[in-house]
Amino acid sequence: MRKYLLAAVAVFTLASCARQKPLYDWHDYDRSSYFYQKDTDKESIKDLLDTYHDMIKEQKEGTRGVIPPGVYADYGFLLLQEGDIKKGSQMLERELKLYPESKIFIDRILKMIEE
Amino acid sequence: MKKLLIFAGLFSIILSSCGVSKTKYSAYKGMYDEKPHTILIMPPINNSTNVDAKEYFHTTLYEPLVEAGYYAIPPFLSMDILKRESAYDSELFLNGALSQFGEVFGADLAIFTIIHSWSKSQLWANVTVEVEYIIRSTKTNEVVFRRKGKVIYKTNSGASGLIGVAATVAKTALTDYVAVARACNDYVLKDLPDGKYGLLHGQDKDKGAGLENFKVTIN
Repeated sequence: MRKYLLAAVAVFTLASCARQKPLYDWHDYDRSSYFYQKDTDKESIKDLLDTYHDMIKEQKEGTRGVIPPGVYADYGFLLLQEGDIKKGSQMLERELKLYPESKIFIDRILKMIEE
Repeated sequence: MKKLLIFAGLFSIILSSCGVSKTKYSAYKGMYDEKPHTILIMPPINNSTNVDAKEYFHTTLYEPLVEAGYYAIPPFLSMDILKRESAYDSELFLNGALSQFGEVFGADLAIFTIIHSWSKSQLWANVTVEVEYIIRSTKTNEVVFRRKGKVIYKTNSGASGLIGVAATVAKTALTDYVAVARACNDYVLKDLPDGKYGLLHGQDKDKGAGLENFKVTIN
């Protein structure tokens, strides 16, 4: 009996050391975001835009089943920088709708577009 | 009595295997009391000789913070705004007032990362990084999370000896270094109390916290 109790405590304790299943599906974000920050050339911009597109299109690995906080915002911001004002603004507004806590800085950017 | 002592000894070994010293509540009281939700990633401070280490860390902080259940201010957008506001040099804010980041971004917290050293062993293909993480409240300026340690990352544990050296040098590409930074960030930030979107939000006070000063080997 004591043996089983010890095993149960060990399993419980080790399980508590690690985070559980991921909340979101990140696709190729690590790699593409690094190369974008490092190079910021045509290829790395397209690569990161594609990754954002994939993350928005499919969130099957994450337990929350929604787009991660900030993804619509960074996607929109990158689109704005690439000159796609209409789609960029739409993405920023989607961020605001999904994550109202983004209001302070999203409003700031939307205001910058208007000026 | 003897059995009880053996049981207690084994239990403490298990606890120390994941570096547990005290509960999350006692280690990160400010995080529970303030209930922060939004966090701004400050550009890492790089004191190492690896000039690219700042980028490796900067691009790999966002994901573990979001996975911990927080709203991390999007990194590229925030980087651009920080540059426009002449606030890109984190050293200027490491010990200073942070209220402006609450006003500009709506951030409750700011995370500072200091890369103290980054070295690579050619023979064994290990990367050793000494790094410190400091999270401060933008409302009270208090430090609510701090961990500092040495991470030994085995980039290619299978390579050894002279044959392994050439293969390892060729194989240790840039993306491997991104993985090193990511492993450091994951290891340290998994200790954060779960944020609003985390599965254990408000339920992890009694869980064990990692050591504030640590040394770990990651394969």
